[in-house]
Amino acid sequence: MGAHLARRYITETETEPDPAKPFGFDPEFGFDERKEREMVATQAQMNLAQVPVLQRDYCAHHLIKLMKCKRDNWPNFLACKHERHDWDYCEHQDYVMRMKEYERERRLQMRKKRVEEAQAA
Amino acid sequence: MSPQQLNMAAVGFRNWARALSKGKQTGFSALFSQVRAASGPSKGMLPGPYPKTPEERAAAAKKYNMRVEDYEPIPDNGEGYGDYPQLPDRSQHERDPWYSWDHPDLRRNWGEPIHWDFDMFIRNRVDTSPSPVDWHTMCKHLFGFVGFMLLMFYFGEKFPSYQPVAPKQYPYNNLHLERGGDPEKQPEEVKHFNI
Repeated sequence: MGAHLARRYITETETEPDPAKPFGFDPEFGFDERKEREMVATQAQMNLAQVPVLQRDYCAHHLIKLMKCKRDNWPNFLACKHERHDWDYCEHQDYVMRMKEYERERRLQMRKKRVEEAQAA
Repeated sequence: MSPQQLNMAAVGFRNWARALSKGKQTGFSALFSQVRAASGPSKGMLPGPYPKTPEERAAAAKKYNMRVEDYEPIPDNGEGYGDYPQLPDRSQHERDPWYSWDHPDLRRNWGEPIHWDFDMFIRNRVDTSPSPVDWHTMCKHLFGFVGFMLLMFYFGEKFPSYQPVAPKQYPYNNLHLERGGDPEKQPEEVKHFNI
């Protein structure tokens, strides 16, 4: 917690990635093959379910299932534990992927720096 | 009403009419003649002109129930204070709360000379009691704190704190249509991968 901030602002100011800027490296670089992320809910389905724009991510199909479950089981607010867990787990995996992307970007930046230093030497 | 009461009323009315007709003023002003009721202060008790001789001073001091040594009239600057005494500009907050005043709420004893701005200095209004810390220390503390907070907010803008995660990935070319993009225009292709 916070080590990345120390790296970004104090020790490794050139190589630590800035999340506000887009990541420049080729997504396939370093991988044999890379599967595309699969979007399950269609745009029409999301529109019909009136999912808020910021929640129309790769876990929207779980969210739509959860919304339907809640709508059907009201006023029993304790009913949809399974659906909520599915959605939460999907979001958790999405967050872990974000962390991995950040780390990948950081390692590629450091590798780039090492390569440049080796070439300069 | 009895015939006697009616007669008294008529006498009163006659006197009023006579005073009006005899008075120097005419018309509307005649209704506001300077005849005071006996219940108010007598002429000797009212403030008078600025005292010039020591005898006038002594008389004024006696009138205001003050000692001659204590009595000091408000300086005559043409504003019309007359011989009214100059009392210290201290509000009633500064008076002893534990002493048994005649009027505890006003913290004043009967017969005490009243400050010109007494109604301003009551305990609900202006307070002249000294602050716990002097003015310059207060200024230093306030501006120091505000300046420090502004500085820290500036640093917070310049060096923001964030989680070490990449930005969130959205499908359908970053929700081009959902965010109000032109349906005719072809959006730039955005691909996301598992990792």
